[in-house]
Amino acid sequence: MAHHTDQKVLPKREDRLRTCHAYGGTSCALVQESRGGCLVRSERSFTQVCNCQMSLALTMVTTIPDAVIIMHAPPGCGGSNVSMDLYVRNGLNARGEKKAPLIWFTSNLDEADVIAGGEEKLEATIVEADLRFRPRLIFVVSTCTPGIIGDDIDAVAGRVRSRVAATVVPLHCEGFKTRISATGYDAVYHGLARYVQLAPHDAQRLAEESSGQALLDERRKSRRVNVFNVYSIGRSDEVELARLLELIGLEARFYPNFARPEAFTELTEASLNVSICATHDDYFLTFLEERYGIPYLIDTMPIGIRNTGRWLRAVAARFGLEEQAERVIAAEEAELERALSDYRPPLAGKRVYLGGGEMRVAATAMLMHELGCEVVGFRAHHYDEFGDDLYLTAAQDRPGMEVNVATTQTFELANLIERAQPDLYLGHSGSNAWVAKLGVPTLPIFSAPQTYLGYLGVFEVARRAVRLTANRAFQEQLRRHTRQPYRESWYRNDPFAYITDGADGAGGRP
Amino acid sequence: MNGFVERPRFSCTLGGALSTVTAIHGTVPIVHAAAGCGGNLFTAQLGGSGYYGSGYCGGLSAPGSNVSEHEIVFGGEERLAEQIRTTLEIMEGECYVVLTGCMTDIIGDDIRSAVQEFRGTGAPVAGVETGGFKGTSYKGYDLALSALFRQVVAETDERATNRVNLWGLVPGLDPFFRGDLLELQRLLALVGVQASTFFVPGEGVRDLVEAGKAAANIVVSQQHGIAAAEAFRERFGTPYLALELPIGPSASARFLRQVAEFLGLDGQLVERVIERETADYYRFVERVADFYCDTDLQHYVAVVGNATSALPYTRFLAEDLGWLPSLVVVTDNLPDEERSRIALSLDSLPHGGKPALVFETDASVIAGHLTRAWRPSGGERYQKRFAPAFVLGSTLEQEPAAAVGARHLSVSYPVFNRVIVNRGYAGFHGALHLVEDLLSTYFGGA
Ligand code: SF4
Repeated sequence: MAHHTDQKVLPKREDRLRTCHAYGGTSCALVQESRGGCLVRSERSFTQVCNCQMSLALTMVTTIPDAVIIMHAPPGCGGSNVSMDLYVRNGLNARGEKKAPLIWFTSNLDEADVIAGGEEKLEATIVEADLRFRPRLIFVVSTCTPGIIGDDIDAVAGRVRSRVAATVVPLHCEGFKTRISATGYDAVYHGLARYVQLAPHDAQRLAEESSGQALLDERRKSRRVNVFNVYSIGRSDEVELARLLELIGLEARFYPNFARPEAFTELTEASLNVSICATHDDYFLTFLEERYGIPYLIDTMPIGIRNTGRWLRAVAARFGLEEQAERVIAAEEAELERALSDYRPPLAGKRVYLGGGEMRVAATAMLMHELGCEVVGFRAHHYDEFGDDLYLTAAQDRPGMEVNVATTQTFELANLIERAQPDLYLGHSGSNAWVAKLGVPTLPIFSAPQTYLGYLGVFEVARRAVRLTANRAFQEQLRRHTRQPYRESWYRNDPFAYITDGADGAGGRP
Repeated sequence: MNGFVERPRFSCTLGGALSTVTAIHGTVPIVHAAAGCGGNLFTAQLGGSGYYGSGYCGGLSAPGSNVSEHEIVFGGEERLAEQIRTTLEIMEGECYVVLTGCMTDIIGDDIRSAVQEFRGTGAPVAGVETGGFKGTSYKGYDLALSALFRQVVAETDERATNRVNLWGLVPGLDPFFRGDLLELQRLLALVGVQASTFFVPGEGVRDLVEAGKAAANIVVSQQHGIAAAEAFRERFGTPYLALELPIGPSASARFLRQVAEFLGLDGQLVERVIERETADYYRFVERVADFYCDTDLQHYVAVVGNATSALPYTRFLAEDLGWLPSLVVVTDNLPDEERSRIALSLDSLPHGGKPALVFETDASVIAGHLTRAWRPSGGERYQKRFAPAFVLGSTLEQEPAAAVGARHLSVSYPVFNRVIVNRGYAGFHGALHLVEDLLSTYFGGA
């Protein structure tokens, strides 16, 4: 069966999934309108800068040890890597790897290259990177400019193959091509699928020859699962999930972030591929199923009590381990409940607002309800069909809950927060300071090494929420002494006034 | 042609322009580019410059047209006009500046007429083409400042003799630009000169608009900000003086004398100020001398920094602190004339022999120079070592410094292992901070 990875360039998510990046309303209405297909063209007539698929692709590939990144770009693209260096070093350290600086190059395209093409420069960069570091993998990240001038990074990778020891993996990450920055995850997986060896040499042959069943049975016995992590998950989250899976009798290995290149050849030796976040993995897991016959599970995110239980049950069901799972869940929930007893009273009735990735915010909304908080609303970076189930479940608790789909767009955030006046905001990095300036304490929804997932995650979020709401002097002083860059009239306007139907890109929505 | 770079110490033209414009309080940028430029460049500033964050309207609050395939095919001018209109509607700015990125420069959007349309409707609206492929952040700084001087500074016939504008340190790239500018502003005030820097707390768009009243401009860099000074002179006839960034009592005394001569200030007052500031400096230093001398903290030193800062650090360490410079690495891509000028001014280093000078941006090549300067010993009993050794550089020099057994302090881009708020190393007070930070590494760092 054909998979998109057969094509040189991957499709954008807009063409592959029912995506939306501009919406304001309620959770139920979002799902309905999305299913009706009326959100895909929504745009904004006013926008603020954000991160593009290149940044998200970089959050994956920069974590892989023994790999070098080449930005095929003018000098600015990938400048964000300076902020990744410490994260990567600490992440390596937490996983028992040697702390090493993040190595990246820019091919440094200039005006002359824009006219004449930059392929030769890229070639020289690859050869030098290989010579200097002898890495196992070289990721070539292609950005807007080479995309427009027509450089063929796959052809360059092919040309240098015989001259370099590393495996060169071209990644197509032109930011202007998609509004859905999560396409960057697909871009990385596309490159891994096409260029990196994912099986011991005979596994692929086996998969092709046999009915597949024998191989599958063989694997199932191993009780080994691959769990697909993301940048926003720290090592402590992996430890928590591995602990829970082990309790029900499964062994977890984590991919792709921080996985050693040679570990990828063992990727296909698992009996099940489990996603933590649907936004992240569907492109690759469908590929692994089609190519290697490995079943996969994309369900909810293991955040909060209900969703962690649901995630564990779903995994266990694939192995006939339902009873173990029930026992584990019951014991874990009881232990957690005891631990939460001191934290529940101060959190009761606290009004919270959330913002971040599609799956994480909805799952977190449920977590905050479980802690006795009132979730006033939440914002997702984008929305697609993977959210349908979770968003409807989250809305069961509170049907009128406000939902905003926006890739950051702090102007909508400021308006919403100023209206809602929540006690706490749980937000994605890049947005928290803007909320703090409105006087509201913020809990960053990802910040390794803090734990957020599983039962320990529930406890840690509760503990942090109590701490953050115990003294909000910093935020209140910030509010008093700084101001947001918006006119006063903006706060009186409809927060979604600049969302358009996208047909002609003009005019505000009534 | 510019070759590839491993771990470059700058971002692109748009990056420099954006960090410059958003450093002027009250300014609202309008980034006419692909959506990701702004996010990426902000992250580069954050981790590159000691966690120097978004401020009034930077970071992810910067308005941007976020052009996509549609605009690449059909042109982005309509989208830009829409974005300027909606920005003026919603954002409270004293000045709006359109900055372009690679995509919009390649498709050739005419931003001049888009900007023209909104002129005279209230706050000034300026615009400049800063597509990233044009060069590094340093070029972006000059392009942005030049555009502001041409398009935002108000016409005036007034010239105030005691008033100057002061620039040369690039926000988001010279990590201590605020602390340094504040200290220089303080020193100039002591000799009766009112200096506008546009970038420090207490200043903003109004100071920029009134910048035409200055009698002169002072640029504390001989490379960065010079094109902007030329643009300023072209429009207002204002002369400028390009000086080395003064760090420490000796350099600061020279700086004040040079400014005094240029502006025709009262020489006696200037000498009194120098005398008092120098005395104060040593009142502090004499107290640390016990520790310094008993511990023997004189070092061989390598300085890795941009064209603005590498020499000033080296000079302070050699002529005031009495250290021995072995190597100076200048990390920005400079044309040959600029290189010779820097080489020439290195000749005037007073003591301790002449350090090797290299022009290099690439991280591994710089590490190679360090190792060559201070080759680790082969374990012989009698070693002619350059020890103790110290590297003042970026955070990227942390490992190479450790590899040659040297202490290390992050002073140049990228700085991601320390937080910088109002610290500065320029002038008299700055040099005291530098002494504190250098000597505190003895205990593992401040
Ligand atoms: S190099 Fe060009 S595309 Fe990259 S960040 Fe700079 S302006 Fe944007």
